[in-house]
Amino acid sequence: MIRLENITKYYPSRLGKQYIFKDLSFDIPSGHNIGILGSNGAGKSTLFRLLAGSEYPNKGHIITDLSLSWPVALATGIHPQMTGRENTRFIGKVNGIADIKEYERRVIKFAELGEKFDLPVKSYSSGMRPRLAFACSIGIDFDVYLIDEVTSVGDAKFRRKAKAALLERSEKANVIMVSHEMDEIRQFCDSAIVLHKGELTFYNDLEQGIAQYQAL
Amino acid sequence: MTTVLKRNKWEIWRDVIFALFIREIRTGFNDKLGLGWVIVSPVIFIFVLSFARGRLGGADVHTLPTFTFMAIGILFIQSFLQTMAGSAGAIRKNKALFAFRQVQPISAVFAGALFEVLVKVFVIVGIIIIMYFMGMDLHISNPLLLLACFFLLWIFAVALGLLFGIAELFVKEVGKVRQLFERPMFFISGTFFSLQDIPKEYWHFLDWNPVLHAIELTRFAVRATYGSEGVSLSYLSGIVLVFSFFSLAVYHIAWKQAISR
Repeated sequence: MIRLENITKYYPSRLGKQYIFKDLSFDIPSGHNIGILGSNGAGKSTLFRLLAGSEYPNKGHIITDLSLSWPVALATGIHPQMTGRENTRFIGKVNGIADIKEYERRVIKFAELGEKFDLPVKSYSSGMRPRLAFACSIGIDFDVYLIDEVTSVGDAKFRRKAKAALLERSEKANVIMVSHEMDEIRQFCDSAIVLHKGELTFYNDLEQGIAQYQAL
Repeated sequence: MTTVLKRNKWEIWRDVIFALFIREIRTGFNDKLGLGWVIVSPVIFIFVLSFARGRLGGADVHTLPTFTFMAIGILFIQSFLQTMAGSAGAIRKNKALFAFRQVQPISAVFAGALFEVLVKVFVIVGIIIIMYFMGMDLHISNPLLLLACFFLLWIFAVALGLLFGIAELFVKEVGKVRQLFERPMFFISGTFFSLQDIPKEYWHFLDWNPVLHAIELTRFAVRATYGSEGVSLSYLSGIVLVFSFFSLAVYHIAWKQAISR
């Protein structure tokens, strides 16, 4: 379970504080693959970054004993001038992987970059970067993977592979994902959280959540 | 299976700083000239300026050979300015990496500052080798004082860099103020002229500047006959202590909000 306690989060702007959440308390249940649904600007990415510890709320706490991944977006933490291998080692070191060699092998196997793994990331095609980013996160055993529209850029084969990898891990691990493509959400998730006007609502049944979201 | 190690705070810090440091080395010398340029450019600078200074004031400056005099001045002021800019810039440059909850701004600052030390060590060794082959006197009368001055100045630069780096996350324009304040530092820190060259009644315009103290004390450390009138190690250490404390305090209260904007 991930517990949000009295979270207040705003961004300063010229028009004063833009509140995303005001005194929000919510429990995100474990054991579900959750899709976060909400319109543009509702705060999906902010919620994500708060969960991951990339940002901090202005007030309140997020309490969990689960290990959460970083928000896996298109190229988080990937330096274009370093090679795929160097980037992988960097991410492994930062996350405290015991056996970096083994981690590298896992990433190579999953990302299928071939010899490009030893070339700078700036020479990668736009489909290859997210593949590397995704492989780097799936290569680590987290309890919860936070995935921000990464899978949507891959081709069908990559999506199948990502799905299989997450299913294989699904006894121990779950995903929380953000995407605007309902097909993608349906592929990976079984329940939903609808984010509307700073309030969260959990739907055990994904279809119910999607219906609710589309009615907004 | 890839197991994630249970690390305590210090171990996380160590790993992150190490990883960032390697990243910095990997991406810092990325053009074709690479590390060579980092050494060649200040060496040329020192040669040209000490030649100019030699024409102005003769072969010695208060018993110190002009080349040594200028080399200390320029190396120290450049170490100060570049470490400060590097530390402040490290926060901005690594902003995307704060997405990993293990990576905190201060780790980026330390990694950037360590990288600057590494570069400066290469430059200093390069200059010492050149001086050796030119048959210059390499005797240092007080090596400990020299090291103390270098590291105090380095800590001072890191503290200021951290302060500016955090401030720049809140207000981007602070970076411009920093650049504005960097420019005169070259001229008021005794790089070209010794404090002894300036009439005593004007000293109070200059002697508040800890960088001047560090440079003059280093020259005194190299050649005891150079004298250390008007500068003091305790003033330098006091200022460094106060600024380190202040900037760590500001960092402690502000960093979470600084990266959450």
